[in-house]
Amino acid sequence: MHKAIEIKNFTYGYPDGTAALSDISLSVEHGRKVALIGPNGAGKSTLLLVMAGFARGTGKVLVDGLEINNKNLKKIRTRLGCCLENPDDQLFMPTLFDDVAFGPLNMGLSPEQVKARVAEALATVGLAQMADKAPHHLSAGQKRAAAVATILAMSPRIITLDEPDGSLDPRNRNNLMMLLRSLSQTLIIATCNMNFAASIAERAVLLDKGRIIADGEAKEIMSDVELMTEHGLEAIAKK
Amino acid sequence: MHHAYIDKFAYQDSAIHRLDSRVKFLVVLVFTAVVISLPRSSLSILVCYAIGPFALLVWAGIPLKFVFKQILLVSPFVLVLALSCPLYDRTPVAVSFGPFSWQSSLGWIRCFVILGKFVVTMLALIGLVSTTRFSDLLAGLQKLGLPRLLIIQLGFLYRYIFVLIDRAHHILRARAGRKLRNLGFKTELRTAASMLGSLFIRSIDTAEHISTAMQARGFDGNWHTISKLQVRRCDLIFVLTAAAFISGLYFLVKPVLQ
Repeated sequence: MHKAIEIKNFTYGYPDGTAALSDISLSVEHGRKVALIGPNGAGKSTLLLVMAGFARGTGKVLVDGLEINNKNLKKIRTRLGCCLENPDDQLFMPTLFDDVAFGPLNMGLSPEQVKARVAEALATVGLAQMADKAPHHLSAGQKRAAAVATILAMSPRIITLDEPDGSLDPRNRNNLMMLLRSLSQTLIIATCNMNFAASIAERAVLLDKGRIIADGEAKEIMSDVELMTEHGLEAIAKK
Repeated sequence: MHHAYIDKFAYQDSAIHRLDSRVKFLVVLVFTAVVISLPRSSLSILVCYAIGPFALLVWAGIPLKFVFKQILLVSPFVLVLALSCPLYDRTPVAVSFGPFSWQSSLGWIRCFVILGKFVVTMLALIGLVSTTRFSDLLAGLQKLGLPRLLIIQLGFLYRYIFVLIDRAHHILRARAGRKLRNLGFKTELRTAASMLGSLFIRSIDTAEHISTAMQARGFDGNWHTISKLQVRRCDLIFVLTAAAFISGLYFLVKPVLQ
């Protein structure tokens, strides 16, 4: 069976020559919840963009068994849903319904199927009554949940989330944690918040300066005070 | 940040709110065209025409304070135009209102007619945007055959104008927090240019992120939407009533008042 994500010796540099990712090798099995942790500028967001086919470099990247190239890009986008850091970038349509329906419509589904998917995705994130609202009328927590719904409506097998807990208050963060824990898809979450990451992911990949520093059991890595401090992160308490 | 959204009352529920956006748009369009085409010296008929949109605004539960505030907001441009009329047209005319009659100039009559037409058409326009969600209005306009590219641009404009205003407010606040003395015109100008530049670059960033979000959800250049618009019996009744009101005033009342 294919791995959800398989990256072999991948290197990527920004147009100005700065190395963003160096010799990255990573594989993620289906159904796993993985946290990409690291300080600001470590390359977490870039790695997520690589997985979605938005940044191409040298090396091999396979998503659900498909190599990233122009021919496979459309298939990959239906199998991997990526949720951007700022929900205002993710929610660009005049109403929440239109936003959640955007992906399924591009997949070529019939209007009835699209309506069913939108209703299901909004119900999953607890925004079933908000379908006709304009995104700018939603709170920060609702926007974040809505951004996840836009991805869920496409029924992808893999979901990547970039700093999903950013600017959320504790209640909304807890709601999001519960929502993400309840999802059966493969989740890859880039975050600097160790407690948030530890509450969802069973595996953690520590990135710094574009390289993978550590890869293993989430709580074990995140509770290593020396390792975390060395890379500008906060360690979680050992239980 | 909270903004004064132009359609902030459009999310209420009333019989007027539930009408099809295309029907409301077309009625307002015809109403506006008829009001604008009224003779430049007929003031009394305008008062009759104002009854229609005024009644709909009251029926839809739109606060009149909000309506007049909106009218005042855009009035300066029309005020300049209207107040210039008495300056160039001083032809004397006799004005009568019931038992009273007095001497005035054609310029002043035109001034009041321009202001009257402005207020009446604004009442209708505010009635339209306050009882129709912007998204429904866009969907309606698209169904009526407006170019899709224009609709998409209007949709993006409505979605991101508030994000842009928020950002501008944040930048202004950051400047105010550190501006402790008068910097002089040149420095102020340089600061303003930097602020505009920063806003511009962030807008480009946002546009790139939106493009990424769209492509990530399979956008290939073709825009697909689901239309939920439907013309029902109440829409037809509204059209017939509006047609009777507009044409009735035009063909029956106007000749009597003139």
